[in-house]
Amino acid sequence: MSLIHFQILSAAMFSIGLYGVLARRNALLVLLSIEIMLNAVNINLVAFSSYAESAQEVGQIIAIFIITVAAAEVGLAMAIILRLFRDRSSVDLDDIDLMKW
Amino acid sequence: MDFHDIKLLSPEISMGALGIIIILLDMITNRKGVLATVSVVGLAVPLSLSLYLCGLVDSDSEGKLSGVYGTVLIDQFSLFFKFFILGTLALVILSSTDYLSKLGRLRGEYHALLIFSAAGMMLLPAVTDLISIYIAIELTALPLAALIAIRRDSHSTEAGIKFLLLSAMSSAVLLYGMALIYGFTGSTEIEVIIERIAYLSTGSGPFGERVILLAVVLIVAGIGFKISVAPFQMWVPDVYEGAPTPITSYLSVASKAAGFAIMLRIFYMAFGDIRIDWASLFAILSAVSMTVGNLAAVIQTNIKRMLAYSTVAHAGFLLMGLAAVGTQADLFETPMGPGSVLFYLVAYAVTNLAAFFVIIAVVNSTRSNMIRNFAGMGQRAPVLAIILSISMISLLGIPPTVGFMGKLYIFSAAINSGLTWLVICGVLNSVVSAYYYLRVIRTMYMLEPESDTSIQIGIPPRMAIGIVGIGILVLGIIPSTVMNAAEKAVIVFF
Amino acid sequence: MTEMMAWSIFLLPLFAFIFISLVIRPFLNGYDRVSGYVAIVAVAIGFVLSIQSVLEVWNNHGKIVWPSHSWITVGSLELSVGILMDPLTAIMLVVVSGVSLMVLIYSQGYMHGDPGYSRYFAYISLFTASMIGLVLAGNIIQIYFFWELVGLCSYLLIGFWFHKPSAIAAAKKAFLVTRLGDFGFLLAILYLFANGGEIFAANASEFTGAGMSGSVFDISSVNFAAKSGFFAGSIATLVALGIFAGAVGKSAQFPLHVWLPDAMEGPTPVSALIHAATMVVAGIFLVARFFPLFEVSSTAMSFVAITGGVTALFAASMGLVMYDIKRVLAYSTVSQLGFMMLALGIGAYGPAIFHLFTHAFFKALLFLGSGSVNHATGTFDMRYMGGLKKHMPWTYYTFLIGSLSIAGIFPLAGFWSKDEIIAASLHHPDAIQIVVAIMALVAAFMTAFYMFRALFMTFHGEFRGGIAAEPDSGADSHDVHLEESPAVMVLPMVILAIPAIVAGFLFNPVIDGGIGSIPQYWFSKMLNMVDHVYVKGHPIDFFAASISSIIAVSGIGLAYLIYIRKSVNTSTIIDGEFSYMTGPVYKLIFRKYFFDELYEGKITIALFYNGVARLIDWCDRNIVDRIGNVIGFFGRNSGKVVTTLETGQVQIYGVGMSVGIVSILIVFVVWG
Repeated sequence: MSLIHFQILSAAMFSIGLYGVLARRNALLVLLSIEIMLNAVNINLVAFSSYAESAQEVGQIIAIFIITVAAAEVGLAMAIILRLFRDRSSVDLDDIDLMKW
Repeated sequence: MDFHDIKLLSPEISMGALGIIIILLDMITNRKGVLATVSVVGLAVPLSLSLYLCGLVDSDSEGKLSGVYGTVLIDQFSLFFKFFILGTLALVILSSTDYLSKLGRLRGEYHALLIFSAAGMMLLPAVTDLISIYIAIELTALPLAALIAIRRDSHSTEAGIKFLLLSAMSSAVLLYGMALIYGFTGSTEIEVIIERIAYLSTGSGPFGERVILLAVVLIVAGIGFKISVAPFQMWVPDVYEGAPTPITSYLSVASKAAGFAIMLRIFYMAFGDIRIDWASLFAILSAVSMTVGNLAAVIQTNIKRMLAYSTVAHAGFLLMGLAAVGTQADLFETPMGPGSVLFYLVAYAVTNLAAFFVIIAVVNSTRSNMIRNFAGMGQRAPVLAIILSISMISLLGIPPTVGFMGKLYIFSAAINSGLTWLVICGVLNSVVSAYYYLRVIRTMYMLEPESDTSIQIGIPPRMAIGIVGIGILVLGIIPSTVMNAAEKAVIVFF
Repeated sequence: MTEMMAWSIFLLPLFAFIFISLVIRPFLNGYDRVSGYVAIVAVAIGFVLSIQSVLEVWNNHGKIVWPSHSWITVGSLELSVGILMDPLTAIMLVVVSGVSLMVLIYSQGYMHGDPGYSRYFAYISLFTASMIGLVLAGNIIQIYFFWELVGLCSYLLIGFWFHKPSAIAAAKKAFLVTRLGDFGFLLAILYLFANGGEIFAANASEFTGAGMSGSVFDISSVNFAAKSGFFAGSIATLVALGIFAGAVGKSAQFPLHVWLPDAMEGPTPVSALIHAATMVVAGIFLVARFFPLFEVSSTAMSFVAITGGVTALFAASMGLVMYDIKRVLAYSTVSQLGFMMLALGIGAYGPAIFHLFTHAFFKALLFLGSGSVNHATGTFDMRYMGGLKKHMPWTYYTFLIGSLSIAGIFPLAGFWSKDEIIAASLHHPDAIQIVVAIMALVAAFMTAFYMFRALFMTFHGEFRGGIAAEPDSGADSHDVHLEESPAVMVLPMVILAIPAIVAGFLFNPVIDGGIGSIPQYWFSKMLNMVDHVYVKGHPIDFFAASISSIIAVSGIGLAYLIYIRKSVNTSTIIDGEFSYMTGPVYKLIFRKYFFDELYEGKITIALFYNGVARLIDWCDRNIVDRIGNVIGFFGRNSGKVVTTLETGQVQIYGVGMSVGIVSILIVFVVWG
C-alpha cells in the first residue's frame, strides 16, 4: 500500500460525496454525502500523516477536529431540517425554492 | 497553554464569556433592552483587551506576538480586524433592537450567537495554522447559520438550510485543499509552508506543481464562498433575502471582512512567492464577480436581493485589491494592494451598514422589502431617505463619500500593478451600477408615497444610523487616518 | 498667531452650522433664536481673529508660512491641506467675516418669525465657513472644493423660500450658469495637473530653494513658477483663461451675468452677504490669487480687462431703468465687479482689491437698506415707494452714505477706490487701456445716476402706497407699516456706514502717519509685500480725481433734475417726440438687452432644443437607442441570463461552485 492508493481512495470518496450532495434530493441524504466528503478529507489527512517524515501527529489531530466540528454541523443541520419539515411536510430540496432569481 | 497564550486569546475568550453571560441572563430576566445593553456594554471588555494587546504589539520590537504553539499571531493586521469586527458587531446590535420585538423569546440566543460568531471572526485574521483557520471559519459559520434561520418562518428556514448545506460543502472543499497542502509540504503552519512552497514552486507553469494549483484553487473556492465572489456567490441572494435583515447586514460586512482577512493572510504569507500567479487568478475572478453582480442587480425589485447582488459586485472590487500585488519590479515594496483592500472593507462596511440599517427601520414599518415600497420616503422619513441616498451614492463611488475614496484607492493600486484593463472594467461596472443605485434614490424622492405615516424608530437604531451616516461623509473627506491604519496593518506582509 | 487660530476662523462657523443643524433644529426647535446667537458668536470671534491676522501679516512683512498637512496619499497622487496666509487672504478674511457678522445681526430682525429661522442661520454659517475656507485655501484642490461648496450654499439660499416657484427657478439658474464657468475652472486644474507635473519636477531644486513645496496644486508654487518663467508657451494662457472662466461665472461677468439679478429672490440679507459682498467677489479673488499667472500672459490680461470693462458699462446701463430696487443694486453689483475685473486686467492689482474691500461695505449697506425699506413697505418696487425719508431717517441717511460712496464722492470710501482704478487706467495709456478707461468713465457716470435715481424714487416725494398699491399683490394696507426698522436691523447699517465713509483712508495717498498713524499707501504696501505684483501706489492723481468727481456730481445732478425737479419728464423720454429714437433703446435696455430671451429663446430653445436637442434626439434614437436597446437587451437579458441559474434549488448552486472550480483549473492548466 503506498500513499497513492490512499490518495485515490480519498479522491474517489470525495467525488462520490460531491455527487451525492449535488444529485440526491433528500436533505438528509445530502447531509450524509457531505459527511462522506469530510471523511474523504480525513482519510487523506491520516494517510499523509502516517507517510510524512515529520509532524506525524498533525494530520490525525486535524481529523479529530474535523469529526468534532462535523458533528456540531450535523446537529445544527438536523434542527433546521426538522423546522423545514414542520413548515412544509417535506425535506425535498426541490421544494424549497421560495426565493429565486 | 500558559498565561501568555491566554493573554493573546483574551479578547476572544472574553467574547465567549460574554455570550454565555447573555444566555444565563436571558434565563433570569424578561426585561426588554437588558440583553442588548449588556451585549454592547460588555463589548467594552474585549475592546479594552484588544487595546491592551495593541499596546503590547506597539512596544514589541518585531511588532508581533506569537503564541499557542505558533498558531496565533497578534500583529497590527489581526488587531485591525479585531476593532473592525467589534465596531460592526456593536452597530448591528444597536440597529436590531427594534427588529427583535418580532423575535419573541429568542432574544438571548440572538445576541449570544452574534457574539460567538464575532469571536470566530476576530480569531480568523489572527491564526496562522490551517487547523486553527478551519476551526475559526466554522466558529464563524455555524452561529451564522443558526442566526439566519432564527426567525423560524419559511423564508428564514429556507435561507438557513441553503447557507448551511453550501457552507458545509465549501468547508469540505477548503479542507481538501488544505489536506493537499499539508501532504505536499508536511506542515500546517503558514510560516513553514512558505519555505516549502518556495522550494516546490520551481517547476514550470502557474503555481509550479499542478498539485499546488489544485490546492490553491480549492482554497480559493472554500474562502470564495465566504466572501461571496463569483462563481461561488450563488447562495448570496437567497440567503440575504431570507435572513433577518440585521443578520444580512452582518453577513455582508463582518463575515466578508473576516473572509478577506484570511485570504490576505494565506496568500501573502503562505503563497507569497507565487503571488504573480494567484494575482492573475484573482483578476479574472474580480472581473467576473463585478460583472455578474451588477448585471443581476439591475433587474432586482427586492432591495435586499439587490444589495445582495451589489455585495457580489463589491467583492469583485475588493478582489481587485488582492490582484494588485505590484509589478515584478516592486513586488515586495508596495503595501497599496492589501492596504486598499482593508480601506475598502471599512468603506464598504460603513456604507452598507448605513443602507441596511435604514432598510431595517423602513421595513419594520412597511413590512415589505420591495424597492417600490420606498416610494416617497423623502417625505415620510426625510432623515432616513437622506442617509439611504448618501449610502447609495457611496456604493456608487461618487465624492465626497467614503465609497469614492475606497474606489480611488483600489483603482490606483490596480493601475500601479499594471491592471489597467481591470480598472476599465471596474469603471464600466460602476457606470452600470449607477442604474440600480440611483433608482432607489429616484423612487424615494420622485414617486408618491403610499401612505403618509412617518417611520418610527427607537433611540439605539437612531444612534447606529447616525454614526454610520456621518461616518460615510467624514471618512469621505478625511480618509487619511483609516488609510494610514490600513497601510500600517498590512506592513506585516512585506 | 498660531495656525490653529487661523483654522478656527474657518472652523467656528462650521461648528456653528453643525451645532445648529444637528442639535438645535432637531431638539431645540422652540428655542430657534439660539441658532442666531450661536452663529453670531462664532463669526464674531472669527472677525476678531481676522483683524488679528491682518496685523500679524503686516508685522511679519506678509510672510506667515505654515507647512501644509498631508490629506490623502494614494500612490503617486499626494493631496494636502494648508493655509496660505498672505495680505490678500487677511484682507478677504476681514471682509467676509465682517460683512457676515453684520448680516447675521441684521437677519435676527429681518428673518424674525420665519419658519425656517434655524435653517437660515445654519446655511449662512455654512456659507461663511466655506467662503473663509476658500479664502484660506493653500492649494488648488482645496480652493475648488470650497468654490463648489460656496456655489451650493448660494443655491440653497437663493432657493431658501422654496415654496416660491420663482425662487426655485432663480436658484436653478444660478447653479447652472455658474456651473458653466466652473467647468472651465475644472478643465484648467486638470490641464495644469496633466502638463505642470513635468515642469515642476524639472525645476524641483528651485522650489526647494525658495522654500516651496513644488507641488502642482500648491498655489504659492504655481505663482512662483509663473514669476520665474517656468511656464513656456501657451500653458499659462490656457490655465489663466480656464481660471478666468470660473471667475466669470461666479462674479457674474458678461456674458454669464444673467443669474445675479434673478438671485435677488433669496432673502435680502442673503443678497447683501452673498450676492453683493462676498461670494460674487470670489471670482475677483480667484483672479487675484493667481495674478502672477495672469501677468505672464498678455492675452489673458487683455481678455480680463475687456470683459471687465464691457461688464461694467453694460450692467450699469441696465441699472438705469430697473424699477425693482434690489435689481438696481444687483446690476450695480455686476457693474462694480466689472470695475474690479477691469482693474485686474490692466494690472492695477492694488486698486482692484481696494475697490473690492470698500465695495463690500457700502454694497452690503445698500442691500440692508433696501431690506429695511422692504420691511416697511412690503415691496421692492420703487414705483410704489417714495417719501420714506421722514418715516425712516436712519435708513435714509445710511442709504445716502452708501449711495454717495458708490457714486464716488469725495471723501467717502468709494471715491478713493474708484479713483484709483480710473487713475490707473489713465496712467499708461495703450489701446486697450484707453478703451477700458472710457468704458469705466461712462459706467461711473451711470452709477452715480442710477443710485440717486433709486434714492430719490425711494425716499423723496410722496409715498405711493407700498405693496398695497401694487396690482395683483393681493395685499392691503395692513401689510404696510411705515416706521423705522427695529434696532437689530438699524445697528448693522450704522456700523457698515462707518467703513463706507472712512475705509478710503486705508489707502491713504495723502498723509504719511496721519490719521491714526496709518502709514502712507498702507493698503497697497501690504498687498505688495509678498507677490511683488505690479501694484499701483502713486501720489493722488488730481487730474483723474477731478474728472471722476465731475462725472459723479453730474450723474447725481441729472438724477436730481429728472426725479426731484421733474425738469425732464421720464415719460417724454420714452414716449415723447424722440420716442422713435429713444423708445427702442429704452426697450432694449429695459429688457436687459434681451439676454434672458437670447439664452432662453435663442440659445436654449433654438440652439439647444432645436439644434443640439434634435441632434441629440437623432443620436438618441438612432445610436443610443440602438446601443441602449443592445445594452437594455444585454443588461436586462444578461441580468436574466446571469440569474437563470438562481432557481432557488440549492443543489444548482453547488453545481455552480463545482463547475467554477473545474473551469478555473481548466483555464490554468490549458492556458497557464
